[in-house]
Amino acid sequence: MSIEKLSSFLASTYENFPKGRTISLVVLRTTQSETIFRTEGSGEPMSSEFVQAGLENTEIIPRLVMTKRKQIAPERRKGREFLRQYNLLYNAKGDTICSLNTNAPCEMCIDCFLYGFAAGGEGAQKSRVWTEDAFSILPSTELIGDRTINALYENGTMRDETGKASTALNTSEYIKPSVHFLDIVTLKDVTADELRYAVGNILLTTRYGAVSSRVGRMDNEILGVFGGFAELPSSLELVQQVFDLLSKTDNVTLEHPLQKDSVVNAVKSIINQWTNKRGISVQLNEEELNNLVADIDTNWSMEKQEEFLARLNKTYESYRQIPAENTSKKSKGK
Amino acid sequence: MSHLKSDLAEKKVTFPTCKKAQIIELWCAEPVFFASRELSDTYYTEGVIGNYALAYALGWAYSPYRLTGTATTKPTYIEDLSDLDCYILPAWAIDNHISYRFERFNALSDAYWFAMSNNRVVINREDLPLKRTGKKPSSYRPSNFPQTGRLKMIERGNLFETIVFGEVELPEYIRVGKFKSKVKITVKKESLIEYLPTAKYPCKTYLNSADLPENISYFSFDILAIPPVSILKNLQFEGEAWRIDDFIVPANLKFCQS
Repeated sequence: MSIEKLSSFLASTYENFPKGRTISLVVLRTTQSETIFRTEGSGEPMSSEFVQAGLENTEIIPRLVMTKRKQIAPERRKGREFLRQYNLLYNAKGDTICSLNTNAPCEMCIDCFLYGFAAGGEGAQKSRVWTEDAFSILPSTELIGDRTINALYENGTMRDETGKASTALNTSEYIKPSVHFLDIVTLKDVTADELRYAVGNILLTTRYGAVSSRVGRMDNEILGVFGGFAELPSSLELVQQVFDLLSKTDNVTLEHPLQKDSVVNAVKSIINQWTNKRGISVQLNEEELNNLVADIDTNWSMEKQEEFLARLNKTYESYRQIPAENTSKKSKGK
Repeated sequence: MSHLKSDLAEKKVTFPTCKKAQIIELWCAEPVFFASRELSDTYYTEGVIGNYALAYALGWAYSPYRLTGTATTKPTYIEDLSDLDCYILPAWAIDNHISYRFERFNALSDAYWFAMSNNRVVINREDLPLKRTGKKPSSYRPSNFPQTGRLKMIERGNLFETIVFGEVELPEYIRVGKFKSKVKITVKKESLIEYLPTAKYPCKTYLNSADLPENISYFSFDILAIPPVSILKNLQFEGEAWRIDDFIVPANLKFCQS
């Protein structure tokens, strides 16, 4: 089992103080359908950012950005679906069950311990899953399309029975399918089972961004796993290095859609050089990486997931603070 | 007592406890956000990175993953930082050029059904009939923590500069701000700290007002009023000083000393 190769960078149990153990994941996120990432609300353009094309190529291009919170929120929710299914979410205040963004985290479940909470009022937990804004390899100008949406009345036209025109007509931008985002995820002081949980969430999450019940299908692939006492270079630098390398590779045309193979090869050849950089001690090789993913798949399999989650859940037992019964007294200064 | 104090102050002066300093550059690989000011539902970041934040980010001190009880209301800067034999100044934007970005955020619940109430995501569907009768069930009342709003952040790609005192090895990347944004560190120059006797000096760096030595006089400065401690810039002072390359700062800077 390749997870053992990382053991010196894994915690044996949850501890409250940081100990400088870092597991970093290089993730390739590829859109499988139209996808919407925007930060300014409906009708606004996609999130993009002007950055240098490569580290060597100093041309400035706009790149699509998948921000930190657009990654972490759906991934947490994915894990919590299972916690809810197996009754591993605890009661927060009174009878309300642990729920995101309701000012009532239970402070006791796996999600609370690993991804953190802040609104508890009686304490806070820092996240040990650190994400980074992920960038598209190609300029956003090539990757964005326009869709006009119209909502017909049930009679199949844009006018209702009284002849009134529908106002449900709109044009909005979307990110095309087959767009590659490169991403670095950092896990701090996690245990082996927490690593399985976090990576499982990444591999199992398939919908990101706005209107994710209709669009936003995305595939995640882990291209590298590192153990060390420092972080990997930023995802921006990675995407820039990949851009440089792809534009130097003879049979790769830098236009949408890119061939996935050449992207994967470029990323792997770059991250393979990272092993000797400061603070990076261990990189899983191809076989070990496959074994790790297989290990995670096994633990998340239908037969094993309940046992796996129960096992992980149990590790926090001694850290759980059961809230005092019925503390109806209002806290001061609120 | 005051006599003793000035005696101590005189003893403290002499020469810098640390001999070397490094001028470093910070490159924001991601947008950096601190809640420097909060106006309505907009949260502003000032164009500065505080030196306490940097000290924690550099791993000089650790704060626990989980805070409970009174620990949530009382920071431990003095306990964590004041005994360190290294020091770092707040980071300022190179050439005073700084760009910002605005971003909107909303925080949805993990329920299938929800309603956006007054700064609140409601998920108690059973309260809906009550609400339709004009009553306001408690789940519909405003929340005391932000669920929607706007963030003014320091834009990706901004360059900051600051000075690290003492012989410390620096990591290549650090994480700063509320969203733990990645920032790259490059050492621009290493320099010896040169001692300058008492006189009137201008200071080009930013300074943390809680870290200044006692025995200097201030003539003028600009203040950035941000928590936890206000930051000073353009300080004109009289007192002993240290010179690091082109920069002159008051001597004997130390975490949390006043």
